[in-house]
Amino acid sequence: MKRRISFQARIAGVLILLLLIVIGALAVAVKAATQDAVRKQAQAQLDVGTRVFEGLLEMRGKRLRDAVQLLSSDFGFRDAVASADSATIRSVLQNHGARINANDMFLLGMDGTVLSSTVAQIPEGTAFPYTQALRDLKAHNQSMLIVPLQGKPHLLVESTVLAPLPIARVVMGFSMDDDLAQELRSLSGLQVSFLSVVHQLPGQIISTQPQPLYDSLRGVMLSKGQDEMLMTEHANQTFLSKRLELGNTGDSNGDQVVALLQSPLDQAMLAFAPLDEKLFWITLAALAGSLIGALLLARSVSQPVRALALAAERIGEGDYGTPVNLERSDELGLLAGAINSMQSGIAEREQQLAHNALHDGLTGLPNRALVMERLGSAIAAERAVALLYLGIENFRAINDSIGPEGVEHLLRVIGEQLQLPLRPGDTVARLSGNEFLLLVHNAEIDSAVAVADRLQRLLLRPQRINDHDISMDACIGIAAYPANGNSPSELVSRASIARQDATQLPGRLQVYEDGRDLAHQRQISLIRDLRHAARNGELMLHYQPKLDIRNHRARQAEALLRWQHPQFGNVSPAEFIVLAERTGSIQLLTHWVIEEAMRQLAEWGRRGLQVQLSVNISADDLLSGDLADRVSDLLKLYRVPAEQLIFEITESAVMREPERALLVLNRLRECGISLSVDDFGTGYSSLAHLKRLPVQELKIDQSFVRNLDETSEDAVIVRSTIEMSHNLGLKVVAEGVEYAHSLKLLERWHCDTAQGYLISRPLSAAAFEAWIAKAHSSPGMMIH
Amino acid sequence: MNFFASCFLVIACVLLGAAANAATLIAEFVDGQGKPLKDAVLTLQGPAGKADPSPKADMDQRDQIFAPHVLAVRTGTQIKFPNSDNIRHQVYSFSPAKRFELRLYGGTPSEPVLFDKPGVVVLGCNIHDWMLGYVYVTDDPWFGVSNDQGSLTLDQMPAGHYVATLWHPQAPDMQPVSGGEINIPAAGLHTRFSIAVQPKGDDTPAVPAPSAFGDAFHKAAHE
Repeated sequence: MKRRISFQARIAGVLILLLLIVIGALAVAVKAATQDAVRKQAQAQLDVGTRVFEGLLEMRGKRLRDAVQLLSSDFGFRDAVASADSATIRSVLQNHGARINANDMFLLGMDGTVLSSTVAQIPEGTAFPYTQALRDLKAHNQSMLIVPLQGKPHLLVESTVLAPLPIARVVMGFSMDDDLAQELRSLSGLQVSFLSVVHQLPGQIISTQPQPLYDSLRGVMLSKGQDEMLMTEHANQTFLSKRLELGNTGDSNGDQVVALLQSPLDQAMLAFAPLDEKLFWITLAALAGSLIGALLLARSVSQPVRALALAAERIGEGDYGTPVNLERSDELGLLAGAINSMQSGIAEREQQLAHNALHDGLTGLPNRALVMERLGSAIAAERAVALLYLGIENFRAINDSIGPEGVEHLLRVIGEQLQLPLRPGDTVARLSGNEFLLLVHNAEIDSAVAVADRLQRLLLRPQRINDHDISMDACIGIAAYPANGNSPSELVSRASIARQDATQLPGRLQVYEDGRDLAHQRQISLIRDLRHAARNGELMLHYQPKLDIRNHRARQAEALLRWQHPQFGNVSPAEFIVLAERTGSIQLLTHWVIEEAMRQLAEWGRRGLQVQLSVNISADDLLSGDLADRVSDLLKLYRVPAEQLIFEITESAVMREPERALLVLNRLRECGISLSVDDFGTGYSSLAHLKRLPVQELKIDQSFVRNLDETSEDAVIVRSTIEMSHNLGLKVVAEGVEYAHSLKLLERWHCDTAQGYLISRPLSAAAFEAWIAKAHSSPGMMIH
Repeated sequence: MNFFASCFLVIACVLLGAAANAATLIAEFVDGQGKPLKDAVLTLQGPAGKADPSPKADMDQRDQIFAPHVLAVRTGTQIKFPNSDNIRHQVYSFSPAKRFELRLYGGTPSEPVLFDKPGVVVLGCNIHDWMLGYVYVTDDPWFGVSNDQGSLTLDQMPAGHYVATLWHPQAPDMQPVSGGEINIPAAGLHTRFSIAVQPKGDDTPAVPAPSAFGDAFHKAAHE
């Protein structure tokens, strides 16, 4: 709003300013032009008037001269003048002068002496003051003389009296009075003023101007400067004035007659007053018009701009539904169209983005974010909801067999199948490569389990993909709200834990159990810390002695890994070895164990203790490939005879990839290391298979040995295994020997070696050393 | 007019010559610049000649000028003012030597005017301002006016000693000037007189342009 007003104001301001400038310039120009015109007109008037004035004066002079000449030609006058009788002459002068309205009359002798005079100041017998000037008149072809006489300007004209030769000169003076001034004014159109100056003193002023101006007029007339136009001001009236010096007597004493001709400017200016007034009203009208126009213009711009701004704001807030309606064909209309298309484009792309953000690109199923959001809203609404966390366990194998494209196809199929048992409103989401999450609303654990069971059966049905029949092994973990938690992340993680647990179960289905998340937490910590355990010195080897049954000597031991966790204390190998195998850090452990065992052997060897140590090797170690090289390097490093090492391998480790395992085993054997099959009897390995392995020893699982007695099934297995092994040329180790009668049975069956608590629990290196020393001194104590 | 004057002088000389040892005076007049001067008057005072009891003379007006321009007469001469023009004139004089006025007239007025006082009489016409004539009235017995060539011949003069007086209309103040004394031998004398003349004053009226149209034009052009 503020912007709109300022915009309008700015446009209006600029327009009005421009208009004011134009009008101001116009007014100045008009004023200047009118003043100039008035001035020029006044000048022209003054020029013309001056010429008219001069012409009139000249004409008047000629007329007077002619009159005087006529008069002087009058025979009676001449007769009277020739009579030389002064009284007669004076009377005839007065008489004839009155005929032509002369004010002053003189009769001069030819030498300029006054013969007769009507003016007291110029008595008879004196020289006439203007004799020479009068003589010069003819030379200058002038007809009259203008002189100050008796303080008043006078016109003097002269004529010669012929009798018939010139005998005298008659001079007549005409005072330049108000009548003359008025007459000149009416003819010239100018204000006329006369002033006589005698001996630098001004005389009476004669003027057509009103009396109050006389003083200032006199000032102008007394100033010097001939023939110049002046702007003069008299009582607040402006005149263009011209000062003329009329006196042509040529006197040096400064006697002169000055005329002032004036053209009034004010009246002429007054003629332009209506123009000024019109200009003022035009200005006012234009200002008002431009103000209205500017406001309209600004409004016509600012209103659509405001509409567009509102639309932009609306779009910014996410409202893409309301288009801008601007029925205009100008740039703003174009802008409105552009904004509309931008709005729909943004809406489309935002929808796409939102969909992409919340959906899996491959299957089109909701993704984690969306399912979490839905879960959150279900929890917020306190609606019961069950989470089914589903993983395809054999995904990797499937991937290997049908390739990435097949997998994509398969995933889409799975996506479709997962929806089958669901009701509308339930959600199937894909979390990662082989993991899906299903939200089943208004479901208790039981119904969720039912759904899960149905899903498993659906997925187990073989799918024909790329000429492969694929059936999927789906593990499902279930968690439910509100039973198993009340936050989405908690529920999802618990469902995930349940699913992990399910992988260990034959039914592949697990409902979350309370506390599993704590166990899970411990596992995660262990997995994390296991990697750094060797470096932190938390690992150590314990040694469990093995008894050579035949000669009752102990020259063998099994190296067993122990982990002293800084937080959890002693961690059972059964716990962390499984985790290490699952996370792939088992190789680190194995390496450490092998090296530590060699180091210990070397140390013992230096002290004369010769022991054969067996070390457990996992499947991953077997498959890693570089085991044989590494071992042979270490043997060289520690200078330990290879015969002192036995590697124990489980059947299952060999069974995973028999060919590769066999390769490694052969190489190890070439190094001179003895090989032993651990946990024999738990797997499915056949003796025929065993035969192919380069092993020298077989270790009967403790489960068969622990409760061994003569009559049990275990006795049959153990005894036959011993016999069979011996037949194959293998030595037999029985582990888990805890009772003496078990040992006696084993001895009777010719088992080669016994290991177990009966002989000794696993011992630290020092304790083992001590135990060996003790056993040597009293071999009988070896059997409790 | 010269003709008449000459006739008159010739007659006088013949008469004088017949009476005594007649001599002839030839006088030539020049102005200050040595140019021949016409209308110069010479009067001589010396041995008396025969007296004319009632001298007469004519001052004609012809073509609106006085003829002769200068007329020299003896004191007491009766002068007639015949009008040879077909228009009228009003001859007057305000000169102290003779004030008179002849009212507008045509032809020859019956009464001649008597010039009984020596002096210069300036003649004018009241209706033609440019008309100007001079009558030089002298008491001297011998006198004459120079002709257009500026020369004057007086015959039948007794030889002897004379006092000469000169006058010209343009002489300073129109006053007669002394011509000195001369001796005229019987054989006659050829002499030269010089008179300082002033240029004509410009205030003397001029003859107006002859045509009425010209007059009007002149007026219009000057006003």
